[in-house]
Amino acid sequence: MAELMARCSYFFLYDGSKVRGEGDATREGICYFYPEETPLDKQELLCGQLAGVGRCVSELSSSPVRVIRLHHNKFAIRMRDDFLWALGCPVEVSIVRVCELLDQLINLYCFYNGSVRQSYQLSSQEALAARWARYLSHLQSGSSELYHVFSCLRTIDSTNVDPLLLLKAALILQACQRCPLVLAGCILFRGRVVSTQMSPEVTMKVMVHESDTYTKRPNGQNTCSSVGSAVSSTSVFLTLSELQDLQSAPVFSSYSTPHKEAPPKKTRLSRTLSDTPSTESEPSDPCSPQSPQKVSFSPHLSDVFSPVPSHSTPGPSPQSLRSPCPNGKCSHEAEEEESFYHSFHNSDVGSRQKHSSGLDDSSHLNGGDGDAACGTVFADKMVEGDSRVCCGSAVGHGAEMRDAPPPSLSGGFSKVEENPLIPMTLYIHRVKGLVLALLVEPHFLKDTVSMEEVYHSSLASLNGLEAHLRSISPGLQVPPGPYVFAHFDCIQSTLTTNLSGRPGGAPEHPFVRATSLLHSHFCNTETLQEAIIRSAGAAVYGTRSVAQETYFQQHGGSLRNSGIPNHQDSAFSLPSKARHRLLKHGVNLL
Amino acid sequence: MTTKTSLLKVILLGDGGVGKSSIMNRYVTNKFDAHLFHTIGVEFLNKDLEVDGRQVTLQIWDTAGQERFRSLRTPFYRGSDCCLLTFSVDDNQSFLNLGNWKKEFIYYADVKEPEKFPFVVLGNKVDVTERQVSSEEAQQWCQENGDYPYYETSAKDATNVAVAFEEAVRRVLAMEERTDHLIPTDTVKLHRKPRSAATCCS
Repeated sequence: MAELMARCSYFFLYDGSKVRGEGDATREGICYFYPEETPLDKQELLCGQLAGVGRCVSELSSSPVRVIRLHHNKFAIRMRDDFLWALGCPVEVSIVRVCELLDQLINLYCFYNGSVRQSYQLSSQEALAARWARYLSHLQSGSSELYHVFSCLRTIDSTNVDPLLLLKAALILQACQRCPLVLAGCILFRGRVVSTQMSPEVTMKVMVHESDTYTKRPNGQNTCSSVGSAVSSTSVFLTLSELQDLQSAPVFSSYSTPHKEAPPKKTRLSRTLSDTPSTESEPSDPCSPQSPQKVSFSPHLSDVFSPVPSHSTPGPSPQSLRSPCPNGKCSHEAEEEESFYHSFHNSDVGSRQKHSSGLDDSSHLNGGDGDAACGTVFADKMVEGDSRVCCGSAVGHGAEMRDAPPPSLSGGFSKVEENPLIPMTLYIHRVKGLVLALLVEPHFLKDTVSMEEVYHSSLASLNGLEAHLRSISPGLQVPPGPYVFAHFDCIQSTLTTNLSGRPGGAPEHPFVRATSLLHSHFCNTETLQEAIIRSAGAAVYGTRSVAQETYFQQHGGSLRNSGIPNHQDSAFSLPSKARHRLLKHGVNLL
Repeated sequence: MTTKTSLLKVILLGDGGVGKSSIMNRYVTNKFDAHLFHTIGVEFLNKDLEVDGRQVTLQIWDTAGQERFRSLRTPFYRGSDCCLLTFSVDDNQSFLNLGNWKKEFIYYADVKEPEKFPFVVLGNKVDVTERQVSSEEAQQWCQENGDYPYYETSAKDATNVAVAFEEAVRRVLAMEERTDHLIPTDTVKLHRKPRSAATCCS
C-alpha cells in the first residue's frame, strides 16, 4: 500500500567535480546516499551508472536527462553545475510525483542551507547528510496518502472552524506586516496551515522547520515572559522570484473551502483586508492570481529590495511575456524573445546578472513548452521559479528545454550556481500548538524595537487564536456519505476531502489509487478535462479545470458494468452525481 | 499558600469600541494604538504583579464586543475570577448595555452565586471632552446593582488603568479569603482526615 505513494527507494547527490580523472574513485563524489546503510560498492555502482547514463544521453540528445526508467525503479534526475541528484521510486509511482519529490527535496535543501556548493564547503558531510535525511523523511511523512498524491499543503479542517477565526489569523499576519522588515508569514496550528501569505511552495518549506521544532519541544511554552522564550529563528534562503512574489502585493490565501471564504472577508471587519484586492475570489482565471504578483518585478536589484511594490511597469516587461498563456499559445518564439530580452539586459547592466540565471529561467521555459497547452493549470507553481515538472510529460520533447541549457552551453551551467539565493530569516513565535512564522529581513533580529513591536502586537491575538483552535472539538465528523470525493485547489495547493485522515484506510484505497492515476493523466495530458476510471467493482470520476481537480466515487448501488458501452452503465451518471453531491461541500462543478 | 491563587482570570466585557483591548494593552505593555482592529473572538495576555504582598499572575481576557462575535466569545467566560464591565463615557448606549453584559456573563460563566461575584465597572475614555455618561449616573448604577467599585479610566493616557486591575485582584483575593473561612464550617469532616494524615506523616 505504502509503495504506491512515492516511497523513495534511492536518493543520492553526486558531485562530479570530485571525480575528474580516471583514477578518482566514484565514492569521492558521493555526497549523500539514501538508504544510508547501502553497501558502498552498490552506492558506487548506482551513482556511477546513473551519472554515466545521464551524461551519455545528455550528450546525445543535447538536453538534460530528467527521468530514467529501469525495470523496477524510475529515477528523476537533476543536473546542476557539477552536481547530480537522483531520486528513485518504484515504477508504480507516477513520473510526475517522482520529479516533484526530487524538486521539492532540492528546493527544501536550498531554502535552509543556501547554495549546495557553499553548504558543502561550510559544513561537514555528516551534518548535511542528516539534513537530507530529515527533509526526505519529512516529504514522505504525513497522515493521508491523498496528500502525497497532490503534494498539497496540510491545512486545518475548515469545516469545523469558524471562518472568523481564519480572518483573525489573516489579520494577525497583516498586523505583523506593519513592520517593514517583515515580508510575509503564515500561521500554523498543530502542523497545519491556518492562514498563509506565502505561496504554497514557500509555506511548505517553512512548515518543515515548524514541525521540527514542534517535535523537539512538544511541551507548551510559557508565553507570558518577554520576547525570547517562545521565539526562535533560523536563516533561510529565497530565490529571487520567491522574494519578488513576497514583496509584491499581499496575496492572501487564508485557507478555506472553496467559495466559502469570500463573504466574511468582504465585511468591514478590517480596513486592510478590504483594501486588499481579493485575488482568490476569481480562482477560475489562471492568470489573475499571479499577475498582481508579477507586475512589480524589475530586474533592478534595488527595486527588488525596496519594500514598496512598484506597480507601474510601462510597456512590455519580461513578465508579460513570461506569464503562462491560458490558451497554450506560448510559443518558442516568445521564449526566445524573452531570453533575448534577458541577455540584452544582462549585457546592458552588469549588476543585473544576478537576475537572469538558471533557476529563474527554468520557470518560464517551463511555462512555455511549445508542444502542449501547458502553463495554465500549474500557473501558481511556475511563479515559484522552481523547476518542477508539473505538466507535460517529463520525457520527450517537452522536457528538452527545462531546467538547464544544453551541455554544449556549459559555460552557462556555472551560472546556475550563481543564481542568487537571498538570505532571509525565519522568525518563529510559538504559543503551544500554534505557530506564527514570519519571513523577515536578516537584520530584524538585531532591531529590538521592531522585534518587540511585532511580538507584542501579535501576542494577545495568538494566545486567543490558540485558545479558540484548541477548543474546537475535532470529533463531530459527519458520517461519511455514500460517496468519496477529493477536491484539489491547484492555486492554493489545498485539498478538500471527505476521506478521513486515517492513514491508508483500507476501504478508500482504490479511490486513492484511482485518484493518483487520474491526477497523473491530467498532468500529462493538458487537454484532458474529464475521465472515468473503473475496475470491476468501482468507478471514479475525475474532472479538472485550470484551477482545480475534483475526484468522485459513488459507493453502493450495483455497478452495471457489462464491459460493453451501455447507456444504463452507472458510471455515466457519476458526473451529474458529483455535481449535486459536492455542492454542499462548497465544490461547484457547474 | 499563595500558589493556589497564583493565576487569576479576569475578563473584560462591554460594547464594541469602548476600549477593552486598549485597556488591556495599556496595562500589560503600556502602549496605546488608536487604530486597533475589532477583536475577533477572544485574546489574552498575562501579567505578573504583587498586590498586598501576594504574587499573582493576572490573565486578562479581552473579548469581542460586537454582537456577531457572541458565539465565539461566550465559551471563554467560564472560570473567570473577576469580570470588568466596561463602557465608554462618551457613548450612552454602551452604558445602558452594562446590564445585558452582566446577564450574559452570569449565564455563560455559569456563576453559582451572582450576587457575590466580583464585578468591577470601568468607564473608559475619560480623556474625551464630550461625555454622555456622568460620573454620578455610573456610580448610581454600580450601587444599585451590587455595590461594584467604579473607575473612570483612559487607556489613551493611562488614567486609573493599573488601579482598576489592582482593585480587581483585591476583590478576588478578598472573595477567596471569605470562602476559605467558609470551608472549615461547611466541610468539616472532609477536611479533617487528610489534614490529620498529613500531620502524622510529617
